Amino acid sequence: MSSGVESFRQLSPSEFFYRNREIAGFSNPARAVYQTVREFIENSLDATEVHGILPVITLRISREDPSNPDHITIQVEDNGIGVPPQFIPDAFGRVLYSSKYKFRQTRGMYGLGAKMAILYAQLTTGKPFEIYSSTRKTRYIYYYKLMIDVKKNQPQILELASWEKRSKWHGTIVKLTIEGEWSRRVRDYVAVYIKRTAIITPYADITAILPSVEKEDEYEVLRFPRVTSMLPRPPKEAKPHPLGIDLEMLKMMINETGAKTVLSFLTSEFQRIGEVTATRILKNAGIDPDKPPRTLDDDELQRLYKAMREEKYWAPTDEPLSPIGEELIRIGLKEILRPEFIATASRKPSSYSGHPFIVEGGIAYGGELASRLDEIAQDSVKGETGPYIVLLRYANKIPLLYDEKTDVMWSIVDPSKFPWRSVYKLEPTDTVAVLIHICSTKVPYKGVGKESVANVEEVESEVRLLAQELARKLREYIQRKKRVQEARQKLSLFLRYIPEVAASLAAIAGNGRGTPDPSIQKELTEKMREIALAKIKLSEYEASA
Amino acid sequence: MEEYIDKIDLEARRKSAEAIRKVFLKLIDQIKKGEEPRLIIKKRTLANTIYDPVKKMLLLGESKAVRRFLDEGEVKKFMQTVLMASIIYDALVNNEYPTIRDLYYRGKHTIPKLSESDKEINTWDEQDESDAVLRDVEVLTNKLREEMLILSKEKGKVVGDMRIRSGRDVIDLSKMGHGAYAIESTADLIEFLDVNAEFVLVVEKDAVFQQLHRIGFWRKMRCLLVTSAGQPDRATRRFVRRLNEELKLPVYVVADSDPYGFYIYSVFKIGSITLSYESERLATPSARFLGVMMSDVFGDDPPIEELQTSILGNTVDRKALKKRYVEVLRKYGYKKSLDKKPFLSGEERKMFIIRAKQQDIARAIELVGTSVVKDILGFEPKISIKGKGERVKRHPGYPWFRDPRWIKEISIFLYTLAKLEIEAMASKGLKFLAFEYLPSKIETGDYID
Repeated sequence: MSSGVESFRQLSPSEFFYRNREIAGFSNPARAVYQTVREFIENSLDATEVHGILPVITLRISREDPSNPDHITIQVEDNGIGVPPQFIPDAFGRVLYSSKYKFRQTRGMYGLGAKMAILYAQLTTGKPFEIYSSTRKTRYIYYYKLMIDVKKNQPQILELASWEKRSKWHGTIVKLTIEGEWSRRVRDYVAVYIKRTAIITPYADITAILPSVEKEDEYEVLRFPRVTSMLPRPPKEAKPHPLGIDLEMLKMMINETGAKTVLSFLTSEFQRIGEVTATRILKNAGIDPDKPPRTLDDDELQRLYKAMREEKYWAPTDEPLSPIGEELIRIGLKEILRPEFIATASRKPSSYSGHPFIVEGGIAYGGELASRLDEIAQDSVKGETGPYIVLLRYANKIPLLYDEKTDVMWSIVDPSKFPWRSVYKLEPTDTVAVLIHICSTKVPYKGVGKESVANVEEVESEVRLLAQELARKLREYIQRKKRVQEARQKLSLFLRYIPEVAASLAAIAGNGRGTPDPSIQKELTEKMREIALAKIKLSEYEASA
Repeated sequence: MEEYIDKIDLEARRKSAEAIRKVFLKLIDQIKKGEEPRLIIKKRTLANTIYDPVKKMLLLGESKAVRRFLDEGEVKKFMQTVLMASIIYDALVNNEYPTIRDLYYRGKHTIPKLSESDKEINTWDEQDESDAVLRDVEVLTNKLREEMLILSKEKGKVVGDMRIRSGRDVIDLSKMGHGAYAIESTADLIEFLDVNAEFVLVVEKDAVFQQLHRIGFWRKMRCLLVTSAGQPDRATRRFVRRLNEELKLPVYVVADSDPYGFYIYSVFKIGSITLSYESERLATPSARFLGVMMSDVFGDDPPIEELQTSILGNTVDRKALKKRYVEVLRKYGYKKSLDKKPFLSGEERKMFIIRAKQQDIARAIELVGTSVVKDILGFEPKISIKGKGERVKRHPGYPWFRDPRWIKEISIFLYTLAKLEIEAMASKGLKFLAFEYLPSKIETGDYID
């Protein structure tokens, strides 16, 4: 994105969301805290890395009103592209369309989640939302305090201010106060969310300042400094794939198109449709190719949609996807988990129902892994017998923390189903962390909570292949390590006996008195060490390990 | 100290020390050339024990095992072998006389750890281990432990009209009073000075040896009297072998009349299975089994009423057995007439005979083999030993027992299931044993060789 400015358009009444806040994750005070943090952090990441900015993000959670300990204030600051001041009221005070509805991978649906948080704050504490923002082009910082008029779906500006910038600062600071719960469990979920985000964003500098669960007025600070300046490849906008749309979407696209004929509508608004394909589709649908698209009646639309679905196409382009990349996965796993071994893998782009997706991931083993597992992962290593598989799930770079057992990723790596022991030779005491990232223009979430990915055949198959590739690499490492260990043990056994044998032989070779000749003993010891080392060739094993 | 050590000793030490040096200098050369250290040792296994029908001895076959230093499974044994050799070498050059127990103690120590996590390892823990590598050193150097001046308990005894030099002393074996000369561990170092004897009589039982000694048997019969006091040790066997080989004296062995007694004779004659590597120097292939034979007890034609009616649970017909007896002997080439009369009467047999046990039958099968026993009995012998259940005992048998004369003895044993100790002959009368039974056997040539 070169403009640095997102375009916003009105979506639908905020009231609808207000009444259905559960589906957006605001079902209870505990979940609301987690969900608010998540929405803001994701917005911040989208406002930075997608635009080539190395993110610096600070989360502050506090209790600012001693008389209302349930009032939790959440503030997130980023160094993103900022929101142009004229868009701020609508961006946060009105439920809008945004560029994120276009075909490219993003974390969230820009603004929608944040607006849910704002609405939730309004409902529970009645406190307004505050925002400071500055873009790269402006010399000013703008401040708004606003609320949403739910009925009218309109922003209500309570305060507005601006200052001239003294530095080149750009970015956004958002702050709101909700009625929430700050318990050990909520703190753990927020902390784990930050940690797991940090794993896949080693290019980000993230700080979280959280109230202590035990002591009032005390805070804990989670710091994740940047460890690399490498950014993942940004997603490119792409036209929709003909199989990736539904009838409603088709109607919407026809309403918006500037194409003069149905034929040019098909060739210009979709990927993978050329003149030949378009002509065939229209012939099959029985529609005149020169007909202006907006003159199609309902029946014709139905036929067009049907004919489009029956056509064969190239798989969708993966250009709108932004995988993390193996290198960053490796860096992140290494930095956060400090394991002894990491392997990464990335599957080729694939698609389901016209939606491109990529499955990638990493596997970590040994080292400090077991002691550095986060609070949620520690639950995975309980139980009678291993191997213990800690699954780090991500969808479009968002860590998924809830509903693990219903997720397609878990269904693959579940130790009761995946042959970790029999085929991949893990020991019952082993702990392994498996990171899997599914990125897509449309992640097939299970249900509205967006916390687990559904068992779509194409996705499941790619996840399985990824898991197999990762497990295979781990097995190779473990076996190599075992061989080295065995060789080392063997060598140390030989080395231990060498002085005995040398002394005995030196006694026989010696001066005829039975006492060992020191010079022969020394020579034999050295020579036998050489022979043993040459035989075992430990250096070769070590080089390959 | 030095002046008390005699020349024979010193010479033996020199030779043995040289033999050890030769083997291990070769190993040192291997190492200096950068080759993987390895020792090639003839296998001391039953499969590699071969009966040489020409030499009439059990010999170690040519099958060899390579003991590699750079093999996890063998490195310890390798170290133990070299360690044992060095201890023996040390004892040889320092004029010491270790026992096998001494060797065990001298070599036993903890091997220094290379790192804290190393397990504690001793050079060896049990004497079994040091004994085993001692045997390997004997095979490697082709020197018996006695030649390497390693001592063991003295068991064998000898008396007779003979002078020997042991160490610095001349010993007159005819002037031992009621006692006898205990055959020293290093039988090779005994020097034979002069002898006035026509044969050697080896008596398995020490008590019978004493009886024969006191009654003046050796004087009257002009022989050397030896006892092994049970299973013969190496020194006794070597000593008997030397008497036979160097003094050309025929050797007669007297043992109990049962398969176990027969086996003891076989150890003198052929060698033992477990120590076959030493047979070449310990066995006396021309040793003769004088008695007590089953046919001495029952005669060549055992009385039909003394045969068993049930053998190993099988009902047998005595008449059929008699018939079978003749047939079997013919089949295996028995040529002589079957006319020897028993030395004991039916009454005496009733008094002296001991019933054979399953183990004795098992031992009989081991001697002649399952197929011969099947021919003798007419059915496959099933043995049950110590709760292991009843099963057909299969054994190929030893070739040197597949002699018609032995088959005759084993047949009588199996038909009568009787055993007789030598003492029983003495019980009938010591004079009978000394001056009737034994002389008549020798005179008539009634022995098996």
